[in-house]
Parts: sequence; C-alpha cells; structure tokens
Amino acid sequence: MSDALAELLRHPGLWRGGDAGAPETIPTGFRALDAELPGGGWPLATLIELLVPAAGIGEVRLLLPALRRLTAAAEPPRWVAWLAPPHMPYAPALADAGLDPARMLVIRPRAGVDRLWAMEQALRSGACAAVLGWAGPAHDSALRRVKLAAEEGATPAFLLRSPAHRGDPSPAALRLALSARDYGLDVEILKSRGGGPARIERLPIH
Amino acid sequence: MFQERPASIAPATPGRRHALGAVPPPRAQPAPGVGELWLAAHFARLPLDAVLPGTGQARAAVVTAPEDPRRTVVACNERATRQGIAPGMGLNAALALVPGLHVLERQPAAEAALLDRLGRWALQFTPVVSLEPPGAVLAEVRGSLDLFGGAMALVRRALAGLSASGLSASLALAPTPRAALWLARARLAMTVTRIDMLPGVAARLPLACLQWPEDTVATLDALGIASIADLLRLPRAGFATRFGPRLLEELDEGLGRRPAPRRRHVVPERFDERLELVAAAEAVAVLQPSLERLLARLEAFLRARASGIRALRVDLLHRGDPPTRLSLALARMAGDAGALRELLDERLGRCRLAEPVVGLRLRSGVLSPLQLRDAGLFERGRSADPEATARLLDLLRARLGHDAVFGVLPVPEHRPERAFRIAEPGSLADLPVPWPAMRPARPLWMLAEPQPLDGWTGALVTGPERIETGWWDGHDVRRDYYVALSRAGVRLWIFRERPPGQGWFLHGVFG
Repeated sequence: MSDALAELLRHPGLWRGGDAGAPETIPTGFRALDAELPGGGWPLATLIELLVPAAGIGEVRLLLPALRRLTAAAEPPRWVAWLAPPHMPYAPALADAGLDPARMLVIRPRAGVDRLWAMEQALRSGACAAVLGWAGPAHDSALRRVKLAAEEGATPAFLLRSPAHRGDPSPAALRLALSARDYGLDVEILKSRGGGPARIERLPIH
Repeated sequence: MFQERPASIAPATPGRRHALGAVPPPRAQPAPGVGELWLAAHFARLPLDAVLPGTGQARAAVVTAPEDPRRTVVACNERATRQGIAPGMGLNAALALVPGLHVLERQPAAEAALLDRLGRWALQFTPVVSLEPPGAVLAEVRGSLDLFGGAMALVRRALAGLSASGLSASLALAPTPRAALWLARARLAMTVTRIDMLPGVAARLPLACLQWPEDTVATLDALGIASIADLLRLPRAGFATRFGPRLLEELDEGLGRRPAPRRRHVVPERFDERLELVAAAEAVAVLQPSLERLLARLEAFLRARASGIRALRVDLLHRGDPPTRLSLALARMAGDAGALRELLDERLGRCRLAEPVVGLRLRSGVLSPLQLRDAGLFERGRSADPEATARLLDLLRARLGHDAVFGVLPVPEHRPERAFRIAEPGSLADLPVPWPAMRPARPLWMLAEPQPLDGWTGALVTGPERIETGWWDGHDVRRDYYVALSRAGVRLWIFRERPPGQGWFLHGVFG
C-alpha cells in the first residue's frame, strides 16, 4: 500500500469499506453461526482453522453448504481439493450433498511434510473453489505460507487439526473449536478477524 | 481530505483541473455551499440488488428483514411490483398476491458492500463522493460538468452505467447534498441549480423524503403537517424545543442556510509505488525488468480490488533533474497490465534519456470497479482455466507421485463398497446414477474395508436400511445398515450381517 493511502487510512473520520474493513464472506448455511461470524459467514481467500476432536463429528457437514455455494456458481468450474483426508471421500455421498463429484480433487501425500506444501500449491493455483486440508503439527511459518497462498489464489483454505494444537500460535483469520453434543455440534469461535470469541451450542448438523 | 502534494498529482501538462474548482469555499465566506452542485443517487431497490443477481430477476422477488416480526417487504423487483407488491407490505399479504414469490433475507453486509462499490464507481465523475447509507450516494459534480458536457449529459451517462448493470436508481441534482437527497428519494428527477430556489422546491416535497424517525413523523402527522411546506411554516424555536435541534439543522442544511459538512467520503484509491534501481541505468532497455516488477505489483493491486484504471504515469527518476514523465491514457478500463505493457513498451522505445535513471515510479489514475454488480465471487479470483489445473496437477504429481492425486466418481451399484471408483480428476461420471430418489443418507467417508466393532455400545440413530444384492456375481451382500452415534459423538455408518450373528461392522463415517 502506498504511503499516501496508508496516511489516508489513518484518518479518524474515514470510513473504510469493502476491502480494508470487512473481508468478503459467504454464508455458512447455519444462521446461528453466521450471526456470530464477522461479515456473516466464512471469510473467503484466507486461512480458516477448525479444531476437531474426532473425525466424523460433523466437521465436513458443517462445510457442505459453503462448498455447494462455492462450486455451484463457479464458471468455469473449479475444484474442491481434499488434502490428506482421514478416509476416502465417498462419491455417492458427495453427489447427495449437491457437489459435483467430477470436480473433486483428492490429494493424499504419503509424507506429512508434503501436506501443507500441497495445500499451498492448490490454493495458489487459483484453480480451486475451496481447499480442505488435514494436518498435524505445523510450524507457524508454514501456516503463514498457506494463508498467503489462500490470499493470492483468492481461495478459502479450511485446515482441520486436532484440539491438541489449540495452544499453538496460528495465523488463521478464523479459528474454531468444534465438539459434538447431543446430535449437534458446539462451535467455539477462538479467534476471528474483526470479531470476538463466541460460542454456538448444538448447531443442527444433519 | 483530498489535499495531496500538488507535485504528485500534477498531470504532465499542468493546467485547469476540474476537481480543484470544486473545493469547498473558505470558511470565512458566509453563504454555504455556493457553487456546489450535488448529484444524489438513491437506490430504493438496493437491499434486493445486493442479494439477487441480475439473472434472478426473472421471477417476482422480495427482500424482508429477518428480525422484523411482520416480515415487511423492504424491497421488491419490477416483476413483483407489476403483480401488486410494494415495499411496506407484510410478507403474508405479498404471498397471497404471488404464491410463488421468491423471498430473500436482507443482508446488511452485502448492501454495504454494494453501496461502497457504487461510491467507487461514482469516482469516475468526480473525486468528491460521499456515501449516505443505507441506500444513497452523493457526488459533488460542479467541477465535472464541462468535462461531461453539462448536467443532463452527466446524468444520462450515470443512468446508462447503472442500468447496464441492472441497477435502478433515482437521480437528482441540487446545490446542497441534502436537498439532492430529498429530491432523489421523492423520485423527482430534477435539477435545481440555484440555492435561492431551494425553499420553493422543497416546500412541494412530501415529508417522507426526509426519512425522519417514525415517531417524529407520527407526531407531525398528528399536528396536521404533511409536507415540507407545512413544516417550514412552524416557528423555529418551537420546532427545536419539540423535536430537538438536529432536525432543524438538517432542514437548514438542506435549504442551504447552514453549511453541511459531508463526512464518509469515498477515498479515491490509486496505485503509487517507486523502485530504486541498484545501478543507474543509461539505456531504456535496462529498465525493463524493474518496470515489469512494478507492473506486476500494480496488477496484484488491481486484482485484489477487482478494479481497473484508465490512466497511468511512469516517472523515470534522475539524480538531480526533474523526472522524465510518460503518461498513458487508455480508451478502455484496464484491469490487468497487458494493455499497459504494450503501450509502455512502445513509449519507452521512443524515449531518449538525457540523464541516467536511478529509480522508477508508477502511479495510476483513480481506480474504478471493473464490475458494478458482484456477478460472482468467482470472477474475482483466477478461474480454473484448464491451464491452471494442468499446472497444478503436474506440480503435485511431480513431487507426490502420480497416484497421490485423483478424482472420485460414483458408480451405479447398490453395494456401497462398489458404488464409487478412483478416476483421473475431472473425468465424467459413467452414467446418470440410478439411485432411488429417497435413498437414505450415505457417509462422506468410506473405509477401505468394513472393520469389526467389538463390543459396540453406541446409540443407533436411524435404520435399518436393508441392502441385499450381488447374488449374481458371487459377491453377495446381505446387510442391515444403521446410522449410529459413537460415545465421542461421531456419526457412523454401521451394519450387521443377515442373519444376525457376527456382530457389528463399521463401514463409513459421516464426516
């Protein structure tokens, strides 16, 4: 940003719209969650971290409405990249969920160190509508690179990790901790750009 | 706030610039706003336009506010209007008129974003643009009238741009921003150029165009006051006591009796960066890589803002002398550096350097959005052209191995473990998949092999779904599937062989 512009942006009476203040978002499909998220939905083009205690509590179902939106309007079509998922994504279920199975890209690196690298490439390519990645321990700098790639490729990056990493530093623009409760999902907002911590209980995930 | 160092904005040939003529008069001058002419654009349908793309307007559609218990119609499209729907109507009444009505929820964030974009779009007419949320843009255009060939030509041009984007607006011109706003809200496409005409014009306006708080309007109504003319007859002191000084000030501002400071200006954004050269360049050809770096940054800057420019200036900086200046003006808005690069190459080729060049400076004209309506979030990023996909696949496979990257496709087959296959990414599905329409849900994750669940104690949620098939090829399956919940809250897809006996197997996880 140029000095002159930075100077202007410091002006106290200045109202900043769009790019500087509120990041672009898309609704999550869950109204109770949208209400707590700055901008009313998932921020696009950045890193979103989800802490998930066990695969299968509803962490992907939480993302399905957004994935549907992101892919439905993409013309030409773009990919949903599944990076190192815990199991094989099941095509009939994806089709049931309204996603085009032909636009799914599964990437299963053998080595853990390749995961974030591959995530970065998928994000930076601009060829993906969204990238979902599963990763373990990661250096702050590697996560920063993922975030930067998300910004460069204008692609949302959903990173799913264990709650063991809750205390680690994270550059994610949005950080959520998920937990299963009573057939629903409790969502704790640990960090959000432009919002405070919040907790949404028993989100109806089907 | 538009003061900039003159040296940095002076065009190559300093001359009369319109914007400078529009600088507000000095404070000492008693008559406020003399000489100003404000264009107000009121977007009554903004709540709808912000959430519904142009192609969605084929059906009657309305927007309601979710927090409003009556679900009053906030805005509706033309088709809805033709079928008798109007803003202010309850949703039930609207649905009674048009049963197939498309009902959308108001999205304040989307409205604010669209208004901001409209403000930036208005920067093409003048650098002095101000937003009036929730649905209006104000622009001081006196200094731009000559440039556009008069007030009517400017209005026509603005309307054409808006309607090309499928946006409807009511436009009006007046010497004070507030009066222009009143006229636009009243849908009076009027131009009032003289400040002394304002009281007479305003007197004919309905009270509603003031958009005062409901209770104030109700009180005024009870007093028998229905128009601004009635209002203007009230004694000033009494009015101020009863309704507070703010509304009186508003009236005075509108009529030009007191200055109306406009805040919330939309700041014209420009790209302006410089690059020092490692070694002084004696020849133009040596500048190429550095210029390319600046152009790449300009391109990223424009892409991040989904904006384009029509003017660009390149300064070749010398140690002592004033810079050599190359100015480009483009016929069409440029959102990438392609067109600029060609023009610059050509210009540079003809350029004679009198002095060595020690640095470069690239400064753009005012940014303007490439698209007024957000036709899709997806046009913002680079689209998945086959090339980007091919590059990505090559890159991933080169490091991870060919088989580490693949697609998954459904296969028309009732046995769950055979209902999908690994495929080259992007391959088409075999056939329209003949699933029964109401087939129970399938899990997002499938295990490679069913796993025995010893001593299973979780809760069954739904089921059984009986799958009995495959007897013709020897791989027959006779199972009862259930959706179950583990103690950890994981939603599982488990089955029991029929006849029961061997216990439970885990086959999938719902994700």
